[in-house]
Amino acid sequence: MGVFVFLPLVLPLTAWPIARLAQQRLDPRAAARLLTAVAVVLAVSSTLCLALIMVVGTAQLPGNPLPDGWSDPEVRKAVPFDEVAGKVAIPALVAVAVACGRTLWRHSRVRRQAVRALRGLPATQIAVLPDETPYAYALPSRERGRIVVSTAMLTCLDQHEREALFAHERTHLVAHHHRFLLAAQLAARANPFLRPLKTAIAFSAERWADEAAARTVGDRRLVARAVGKAALVSRPSPTQSLAGFAAPGPVPRRVRALLEPPPDARTLPPTATAVGLALWTAAAGTTASALSSANATVALVSVLHAATPL
Amino acid sequence: MRGGALPNRSHKPASGSSAPRRGQGELEAQVLTALHSAQGPVSAAWVQERLDSGLAYTTVVTILSRLLAKGAVTRERAGRSFDWQPAVDPAGLAALRMQRVLDGEADREAVLTSFVTALPPGDEQLLRDLLGEAESEAED
Repeated sequence: MGVFVFLPLVLPLTAWPIARLAQQRLDPRAAARLLTAVAVVLAVSSTLCLALIMVVGTAQLPGNPLPDGWSDPEVRKAVPFDEVAGKVAIPALVAVAVACGRTLWRHSRVRRQAVRALRGLPATQIAVLPDETPYAYALPSRERGRIVVSTAMLTCLDQHEREALFAHERTHLVAHHHRFLLAAQLAARANPFLRPLKTAIAFSAERWADEAAARTVGDRRLVARAVGKAALVSRPSPTQSLAGFAAPGPVPRRVRALLEPPPDARTLPPTATAVGLALWTAAAGTTASALSSANATVALVSVLHAATPL
Repeated sequence: MRGGALPNRSHKPASGSSAPRRGQGELEAQVLTALHSAQGPVSAAWVQERLDSGLAYTTVVTILSRLLAKGAVTRERAGRSFDWQPAVDPAGLAALRMQRVLDGEADREAVLTSFVTALPPGDEQLLRDLLGEAESEAED
């Protein structure tokens, strides 16, 4: 297994270029699917390798569950024995497990609370709540899901813009975007190098819903106006005080994309372009990550098998 | 004490196990709906009778107090007890509860996909410019 077992921990870096470029140059639906698949494979490989490093590295510690044959010098030679990395891997693995568990728990709690909040209202898909804070949310559920929108949000939009908003939220529900987002969140918890992918997946899902809404209402400019107006009436975020120096946030980029011609529906751009190169880099990184974690697993299992006198 | 109240302090309906257990939110909505059907301020006993769901008197008072804390009902003294009046409708109550969910979770993106994310200060002008361009192009 050698040094390759450490590769999947850093290979998520190969997905950074595509996470950056896919948002602008790929069809958002293809981008969301591709980035989610890449993130999931990289996260699983990375976690698997973390577990393997822990198993190998902690073999010398008392109470480890490995068979006695493991201490044979020949077996020792066959696997890298890095005690430091092995010990570091334990808290890392625990941290990953705790973070993922917390994410899942919070996800289900918010979902439950939101469903409970809407109880007692007529069972229409669109729930209009009298509230002075403008907001609009897609709330997934096992059936068709609901759209929660406040009166303050509706009053700032005209009839056509409201249709654009509902079409946008309906796309989130029909396409199960919350699953993409949850997968992305869990992946980012499993390996911090995957955080840019989480942001990119969230943005692609919004763009996907924007484009679908534009097709439904038949007017890209109308959707752009709805998104822009909604953002302008929403509260500014208090946390981003240094945003003046930062790149434009997701909303202006969405509006700009809607004001431009629709994205190319071709899923695979030519290799010679920047986005093509980024795509192949990510594909190569993901494959390498999956292969080296699989290779390390097979190696460890076969060594264990040989060392066990059964 | 209050006559007829069963010694049942939980929020379950007292009338046996046939009725499914309901959450607080649903009970609050039911109490509010009952208050809405009244022609004016009414007592907690009136609400209990109106609901006809076997809720204990103390449970009804608890729910009313909770609604009062949320600003969803008002009350006025009537002799030794209170008369209650709705301040919001069931949709308003749902809005209050939803506001609590939204305030309570900073990291809710994976569940509730918002139509727009909050705008940082610098983005506001950029967005206005973009929309302005779009308007002037549309007029051309």
